[in-house]
Amino acid sequence: MIHARRAGGPRGARSADPRRRTFWAFALPPAVVLAMLLLVPLALMLALSLREDLSGTLLAPFEPTLRHYRQFLATPAFLRSLGLSALTAGGVAVIATALAYPLAYFLAFRAGRRAGVYLVLLLVPFWTSYLLRVMAWKLMLGGEGVINSGLLWLGVIDEPLSALLYNRVAVIVTLVYVWIPFAMLPILAALGRIDIRLHEAAADLFASPAQQFRRITLPLSAPGLIAAFLMVFIPTVGEYVTPLLVGGATGTMYGNIIQDFFTRAANWPFGSALSMVMLGLTIVLVAIGLRVVNPRRLLGT
Amino acid sequence: MQPWRLRSAMRGFVGLVVLSLVMIACGGGASQAPPSADGSVGPTTGPTPAPTAIPPDQVTGSLSVLDWSGYDAPDFWTDFQTTYPKVDVAFEFGISDADIYGKIKAGSQADVFHPYTGWLQFYVDEGLVEELDTSRLTNWGKVPESFKKIGQLNGKQYFIPWDWGFSSVLYRTDKVSGDITSWSALLDPKYSGHISMWDDGPAAVTVSSYIHGYDETAITDSQLASIKQEWSDQARLNVAYWAAESDLVPLMQSGDAWVAYAWQGAYATLLGEGVPVAYANPTEGRNSWVGAYGIRKGSPNYDLALAFLDQKLGEATGNNLVSLYYYGSANGDVMKGITDATLKQAFSVNDPAILDKTNFTPNLTAAQRDAWTTLWAEVKASQ
Repeated sequence: MIHARRAGGPRGARSADPRRRTFWAFALPPAVVLAMLLLVPLALMLALSLREDLSGTLLAPFEPTLRHYRQFLATPAFLRSLGLSALTAGGVAVIATALAYPLAYFLAFRAGRRAGVYLVLLLVPFWTSYLLRVMAWKLMLGGEGVINSGLLWLGVIDEPLSALLYNRVAVIVTLVYVWIPFAMLPILAALGRIDIRLHEAAADLFASPAQQFRRITLPLSAPGLIAAFLMVFIPTVGEYVTPLLVGGATGTMYGNIIQDFFTRAANWPFGSALSMVMLGLTIVLVAIGLRVVNPRRLLGT
Repeated sequence: MQPWRLRSAMRGFVGLVVLSLVMIACGGGASQAPPSADGSVGPTTGPTPAPTAIPPDQVTGSLSVLDWSGYDAPDFWTDFQTTYPKVDVAFEFGISDADIYGKIKAGSQADVFHPYTGWLQFYVDEGLVEELDTSRLTNWGKVPESFKKIGQLNGKQYFIPWDWGFSSVLYRTDKVSGDITSWSALLDPKYSGHISMWDDGPAAVTVSSYIHGYDETAITDSQLASIKQEWSDQARLNVAYWAAESDLVPLMQSGDAWVAYAWQGAYATLLGEGVPVAYANPTEGRNSWVGAYGIRKGSPNYDLALAFLDQKLGEATGNNLVSLYYYGSANGDVMKGITDATLKQAFSVNDPAILDKTNFTPNLTAAQRDAWTTLWAEVKASQ
């Protein structure tokens, strides 16, 4: 249908281009999957957020309202929660990226032929489920957990520290742990692309190792750093599983509030509105971030 | 990618989205047409197809039940299993009343679902539940009238009552000195760091109403504001909120939590584990709730679903419910047959004074549901 319409158009001649046919042959399946599973649900969610409430037939036409967005803006607790979650996500992303950098550096430049083995070893915990790894942190931080038992045994404390688990710090610690290996991969890829001859040339010109790192390694790996940061930041803003398990009553994140409106309030329209706001904020923050950092300048092109 | 290609790709994308939306809309429309158009399966039809035409043990088919996690245990539907051994029963789960309501509302294909008092009216108002033909329920006579009434809405029987129990304050007797005699223990800074409240807005509002003597069916805006403040201050006293009994039990067992909002199931489980716990009789009265089963509107398996509901009220199932989980059964014969002293204590059969001052859970209105759940979300978001 699309082809037929195009055939008469100014670019009609090009539709015979075999490269174009190949392009569509490969692009169509993922495009359909994306459209069906990502864009359609997103459109439905947007529609849901404009509904008055859940009553009536869900797919029938309705009078759109911005009531839920207004209610969100009028509720300081929700605004605060969104800001706090963005800050938490930013903090987690910075810490995870910073901790992942030395790991990636070691794998790229120092591990030599064992790099592959080390990489696999680092990823071994990720063969188990996400839930299991978060539960493991509960066992570490809990009242009868590894840390408390160890400290009790050593006589450092007399009774278990309750401050370890069920708060925002526990959420941050667990999230950092979960994300380090993921943050490492894009950095590793960026470091791996650095031409070793640049280091040799720098050494020939009497650059100290610190200078080499600052002038060559760091700038050339910057795209990897940014990718790592975004890879952690974007999903963490809406995180809800980790705070649910280790956050307790005071470590709630914005994602939990969204989840609550779906599963504990039967108020899908408001939950959808909260989701759309978060999506918008994430897009804006990432756009600003990319504008400020300007990856192209960092790439030197 | 060259610009023209990007543009045409974008156009293709937009086309696909529109196409998919149309497909979804059509699909949705089609699925809404009731499969049997209120005909063959409804209770209002003339000659009902007799379910006993084939002996029950020869009846085949499948039934899908939307229930709370744990209720899939065969103990809870043993009568159906033994009477209809050839019927496949599949369970899917909801984590709360709101979740189950949302799933049914969004088009869950479950035949049978399990809501609790407070949430029943919504299903009737939204036309999501079939009326029940109680003349075909063999165990119906064993259900006390007061229980039957709970499933009657707008003058019709839409639900069977099944399980009932209390909500109250559960506490560790080795950590808490003296008896707890008020719901206000859940807000007492004395237990800071060792309280576990249920993660539920209506429950929080209800507890506050008991403490301050508010009429929970007519909470004013200023009362609601003070309730919000009260629970915002309470949040930091919790070791954690609990969402399911399976969260609460380990918290109490490990000693992380000393004082908790709880149903009797957790009390029974902890007693069984030998944990020193007591279940309070607050001066304000305990809360009491009743669970119900209903059949989804348009279910193609109405007959089997009705048989499932009937067998749910069976004696063996009821006995399991009582003796294994300490929940009350809607089958009056089962309750009369209780002889075990611990069980009598758990149901306060020996102490009618407790039952007399129990606060039964009223049906929520949509406005209350939205206001109370939003209040709770704000409490959690403000931490």
